[in-house]
Amino acid sequence: MQLTKHWAGQLDDYVIDLAWSPDGAVLAAASASGPITLLAAGDGARRHELPGHEGGSNAIAWRPGSQVLASGGQDGAVKFWDAAEGQHTGTASLGRPWVEHLAWRPEGAAPVLAAAAGRKLVFLNPDGGVRHEFSDAPKTITALAWHPRGGCAAVAYFGGVCLWDADDAVAQKEYAYGNGIHALAWSPDGRWLVSGNQDPSVHLWMPEIDTELQMSGYEGKVRHLSFDTASRWLATSGSPDACIWDCSGAGPEGREPVMLPHKAPICGVAFQRLHSLLATAAQDGIVVLWSPERRQPMRATVGMPAAAACLAWSPDDTLLAIGSEAGFVYVLRCEP
Amino acid sequence: MDTNPIPVTVLTGFLGSGKTTLLNRILSERHGRKLAVIENEFGEVGVDNQLVIQSEEELFEMNNGCICCSVRGDLIRILGRLLKRKDRLDGILIETTGLANPAPVAQTFFTDDEMRRNFRLDGIVTVVDAKHVGAHLDSGDESVKQLAFADVILLNKTDLVPAQELEALESRVRGINAFASVHRTLNCDVPLDRVLDIGGFNLDRATEIDPKFLEPEYPFEWAGAYALPAGVHELVIGHPVGETDDQGHDHGHDHAEGHHHHGIENELDVAVMPLGSLAEEAIAAARESAVRVFSDGERRMKAGERIVPGAPLNRLLLDEGSAAFSLEIDKPGLFLVFEGCGDEPLHIRVSGDTVKPSWQADFHLEHEHNEGVSSVGIQQPGELDGKRLNEWISGLLRTRGNDIYRMKGVLSVKGAAKRLVFQGIHMLFDAKFDREWGSEARINTLVFIGKNLDRAALNEGFNGCLSA
Repeated sequence: MQLTKHWAGQLDDYVIDLAWSPDGAVLAAASASGPITLLAAGDGARRHELPGHEGGSNAIAWRPGSQVLASGGQDGAVKFWDAAEGQHTGTASLGRPWVEHLAWRPEGAAPVLAAAAGRKLVFLNPDGGVRHEFSDAPKTITALAWHPRGGCAAVAYFGGVCLWDADDAVAQKEYAYGNGIHALAWSPDGRWLVSGNQDPSVHLWMPEIDTELQMSGYEGKVRHLSFDTASRWLATSGSPDACIWDCSGAGPEGREPVMLPHKAPICGVAFQRLHSLLATAAQDGIVVLWSPERRQPMRATVGMPAAAACLAWSPDDTLLAIGSEAGFVYVLRCEP
Repeated sequence: MDTNPIPVTVLTGFLGSGKTTLLNRILSERHGRKLAVIENEFGEVGVDNQLVIQSEEELFEMNNGCICCSVRGDLIRILGRLLKRKDRLDGILIETTGLANPAPVAQTFFTDDEMRRNFRLDGIVTVVDAKHVGAHLDSGDESVKQLAFADVILLNKTDLVPAQELEALESRVRGINAFASVHRTLNCDVPLDRVLDIGGFNLDRATEIDPKFLEPEYPFEWAGAYALPAGVHELVIGHPVGETDDQGHDHGHDHAEGHHHHGIENELDVAVMPLGSLAEEAIAAARESAVRVFSDGERRMKAGERIVPGAPLNRLLLDEGSAAFSLEIDKPGLFLVFEGCGDEPLHIRVSGDTVKPSWQADFHLEHEHNEGVSSVGIQQPGELDGKRLNEWISGLLRTRGNDIYRMKGVLSVKGAAKRLVFQGIHMLFDAKFDREWGSEARINTLVFIGKNLDRAALNEGFNGCLSA
C-alpha cells in the first residue's frame, strides 16, 4: 500500500474543520480565525476564499448532493455559501454566541441542517429559514449526530443525550448520562449510538432494543470516535493507543479491544467511508493507517511537523486530508 | 506543539469593587502580550484589539451536585476554543461575576490532563471595595469565599475609609485568609508583578508563605494606651475587695463564651511600653517591642511591688484574680500597656483617679468570625509517618472537603530525603516530592483556609502523624 503526498496548502491559522464536497472535487478548509478556503482536489489550487465568520469559524458542512456549504462561527451565525460561485447566499442568526455544531440530515430525506449554539438547537431549511427552534437544552450542546437514515438527530450535553425526531421535532428518547460528553457517533447501520465522555469512557446505546454498555479504562477524555462502514469496528481516542472495539453482535462487552499504538495521545481517528482503512493521528504529528482486522494492522505511517487538528477522507476514499494546528492542509493519496 | 502551559489569572470581586479597573490596567500595561479576557456576561472591558470573550456561567456538577466536584462548563469550552490558534496566547484573564463562587473556576483547571497540560492557574486575585466589603461580609456568603480562595487581595478604594476602619478591615480579611498577600490600593494601583505570574497554585512555590502569618497570634491579648504624668501610680488588676465602683474598669470588650484563661491561675503577664504617639507606625513599633519582651524572661511580682516600663516582662501574682501594684513613670508621656490575658480588668490610677485608655485593641485572632471562614496554619519541626499522614489527609478531605477551601504546605516525611509539597482545592489534591531538604531544617508547614475549621482538631490530627 502506498501513501504519497498529493499536495499541501496553508491557511492563516489553526485548521478548525475540513470537509470534502459531495462530488469530491473541492476540499473546504476553515481556519480558526475565520476564513474558509475552497481548494481544488486535484492540485490544491485556491478556488475561492470565503470570509467565513467574524471572530472565527467553528464548523463547516456540505449539503448532501450539492454545491452548498454551511458554516457556523463565533458570531452566532450559520452562513450558507454557493461554493461554485464563491458567493454568500444566506445567513441564519441563532441569537446566541458560538455556533459550534452543524450537521446536515443524510441524503434521501427532506434536507435539514441541525445547528447548535450554546444550549440552543435549531433545524434550518436549506435557504436558512428556521424549520424548528427547540427549547433550550439543559446544558450547552457538545455534540450532534444524525441517525444514518435521517430519522432523528442525537444531541449531547452535560448530563445526557436526546434524540429529536427529524420531522415532528419531538423527543424520541432521552438518555441520562451523569458526566460530560465530547463526541457522538452512530454506527452506519444505526444499531449503535456512542458517546465519548469526560469521565473517561465510551458509552454505547442500542436504541432499538434499549440496551446500553459502558466501556472504560481510558487515560483521558474521549473526544474522537469513528465507525467503520461495516458497523463492526469503533475507533476511539483517549489514550496514546487508539482503542478499537468490536461492535458486532451483542457488542464489545467482554471482548478485548484492538490497541493500535502511538507514542503520544491520539488527536484524531477516521475510518474510510466505503472501505476499511483507519487513519489515526497523534499529538506528535504522526499519522498512521491501519487495517484493524489484520494480524499486522499497521499499513503506513507519515510524520508531520505539527499535530493534526482534523482528518477527512474524500468521498471515494482515495484522498486523506489532514489539517494541522499550525495551519497547514496536507492531502495524501492512498493507493492499494 | 508548544507545551508551555498558558498562565491563567482569575479576577474576583463584588460588583463595583474595581476589578474592571484592574483588568483594564493589565490590558493597557501589558499591551505587547497576547492576552485573552474571558469576562462574565455583564463585563464591560473596553480595550481595542484585545480578544474578549463573554461567557455565561454554567456549572457541571460532576458528582451529584457536590460543589467540590463542580467545574465551569463554559470555561472548559472557551478555553478549548482558545487553544485552537496557531500562535499560543501569553496569558488568560478570567473575570467572574460579583456573585461567583471561585471554587468551580479553580477546579476547572484540574479536571483532566489536557487542562493541566495546556493551562496553569497562576492565581486568584480578589478585589474588595474597602467601603462596602464589611457589609458584604456581614450579609453574604460568596464574598467570604472570594476572600478565602484568594492568593492576592486588593483592599481597594482606601480613600473612602478612615485609617482605623481600614486597620480593622484588614485584620478581618486576614482572619479569613491569613495567607494571601493583601495590598491597599486606591484605583487598583498595585504593581502588576504582584498580581500576575505569582505562582499561587505552583507546587514549587507552595512554601512561599510568609511565616509571620503562620503565627498571627500575639503573646498578649489586649493593649491600651495611657497618657501618664511622671510619678508613682497605681496599676490595679481585678476588683479588689470592697471596690464597688466599676467605672472604666473594663476594657469594653466582650469575650466569646468558652474563653479560657491563659496560663496559670492567678498569674498575669503585663508589659508597659513607652509610646511615641498614637500613629499607626508608633503603635506597631511598640507592639513589636512588646512581642520581644513577652518572649524573654519574666520577673515575678507580688502585690505592691513596683512596675517600670520596658523589659523584663512582669508576671503579676494575683490573689483570687486581684492585686494592686505601683507603676513608676520617670518621664511623662504615652504608654502602651499589654496584658497576656485580655479577660482581666486592668486600670491605672493617678492620684486616686482612674485614667481611661486613649486607645485600645484586642489581639485575638478572629478564628471564628460570624462568617465562620478562617485560616489555620501549622508550623512544626519533626518527621511525619507517611502512612498516617496519608490516612489523616484523605480522611480529612473525605469528611471535611466541602469546608476546606484551600490548603497547601510543605512536609517532612520520615525516610524521604525530599520535601513533600502539596496543595488542594476542596477535595482536589496535588502532591509531589520536590527537592532535597539538604541542610535546611526539616520544618512542616501546613495551611488550611476554610469554613468551621477546628484548629485544635487539625493540630491534633497533625500531631498524630508525627513519627515517634
